[in-house]
Amino acid sequence: MYLQTTIIAIVMVATFALASWKLKSPEISMVITAIVGALVGGFGFPSRLLVEGMFTYFDVGLIFLTASIFINIYSETGAMNALVRWIVKQFYDKKWLMLILLGILLIIPGALTGAGSVSIFVVGGLVSSVMNYMGFSKKRIAAFIYLFAMLAAVAPPINLWAMLMAAQANMPYVGFGVVLIVPIIIIAAFTILYTGLSKTPGRKTKTEILEELPQPPAGMNWFKILVPFGVLLVLILLMQYATFYIPVLGLPLTFMICAFISMGMDKDRWKVKKWYNVMVKTVDQVFPLLGTVISVGVLVNIMTATGVKGLLAITFITLPMAFIYITALIFAPFAQGSLSYGSAIILGTPIIFLFNSMGLNVTVTAAALSFLFPLGDCLPPSRIVGRLTIETVGYEGSYMSFLKAIAIPWLFMGAIGLLMLLFPNQLRFLVVY
Amino acid sequence: MLVFFDTIIYYLYFIMTAFFAFLLLRNLFKREKRKALVYDIVYSYVIITFILRVIGIK
Repeated sequence: MYLQTTIIAIVMVATFALASWKLKSPEISMVITAIVGALVGGFGFPSRLLVEGMFTYFDVGLIFLTASIFINIYSETGAMNALVRWIVKQFYDKKWLMLILLGILLIIPGALTGAGSVSIFVVGGLVSSVMNYMGFSKKRIAAFIYLFAMLAAVAPPINLWAMLMAAQANMPYVGFGVVLIVPIIIIAAFTILYTGLSKTPGRKTKTEILEELPQPPAGMNWFKILVPFGVLLVLILLMQYATFYIPVLGLPLTFMICAFISMGMDKDRWKVKKWYNVMVKTVDQVFPLLGTVISVGVLVNIMTATGVKGLLAITFITLPMAFIYITALIFAPFAQGSLSYGSAIILGTPIIFLFNSMGLNVTVTAAALSFLFPLGDCLPPSRIVGRLTIETVGYEGSYMSFLKAIAIPWLFMGAIGLLMLLFPNQLRFLVVY
Repeated sequence: MLVFFDTIIYYLYFIMTAFFAFLLLRNLFKREKRKALVYDIVYSYVIITFILRVIGIK
């Protein structure tokens, strides 16, 4: 059985590599890999498994679509340009303060929703424009946005990896606040320093930038700029803290409500054709991501059915402890790249049980793992947040050069996560109930 | 009251999904980027996912 599953895994890896090389499309390569895996695993043509898999991340896809529609409609009203103008006017000469503010801005949406991709969708474009005008290179902008999106996903109150591991291991999701926030501050400070200390040869004067930036449309005011984001924040907070008193909206509908509010704020609110065109363009823009999440779902479902997913987990946790520590920075991110949040359940929970049996603090361990898993959101096969960052920033280099660009802060975040994993008992003072 | 609103939201999601399925279908035939045959297939199974949700199979 072990040998058979290993053979399936090898065939799937080879198929994925070959399909990616020949077809140049990660989406179709994942589906072909899934079909070949099922055929080799003796499932025949797996129609039912394929359809089931398509829906694994369907809701995530809907969030991508609706968040993009909201932010594109918001930009179309001219509010985004007005906001960028204001930020440049106020903070252009205060680089460090500006970077701290942009970092906080990136963390809020992800912290409230548990998804770094939401941060990039909602404020990534704004942050990218401002940093562009500040003269930072595309590489530094990509590294800044990607790292803060990761930190946003890890930040409390919603850390999906820690929540999933806690639920699976029968431990309460409490005491994670400080143990998550302290490392986040350290990593954020490092990322801000790494970005801020870089050279900015393309930096223009404030007057030049303000001349370049489009003028806000007539009638644009603070009310119109802030209300769509205000409503978004209020609805997300209500979903968190007044769950039993409001109907279940869900993030996609929340984004659509805010998109309609943005439309309502525009003087051309009744020009249906204009908004329809924005939506058509958005669907085209988001399509590669939508295709990716649906294809990843198919691949993960077949990996589960054939036992490849379990094989990866068992292989990892049966390694000697020293090897677990040494390979954690490779296994955990790659598990995230192929299994998405499933990595927390497949890999995270067995590690929690293993560490618990050795008398190590499980809250710190779960927090540590939740810093290691998100590192894989830029790794194949899914590369969801990585690709999203590239599209948002308008990064034109190869994907490998993007990985190199984010390498230093990425490794720093990994090192912090690894240190927490190595010394959970020494860091138990950070677990505050 | 909450149950009533939840039911409305439930149907709103179906309408939303149908609208996105329509936009995807439109982009399948009138797209300007990603015109290769490979993307015809990717578009097809993405659209199938939306249609299956609309008709309530999943």
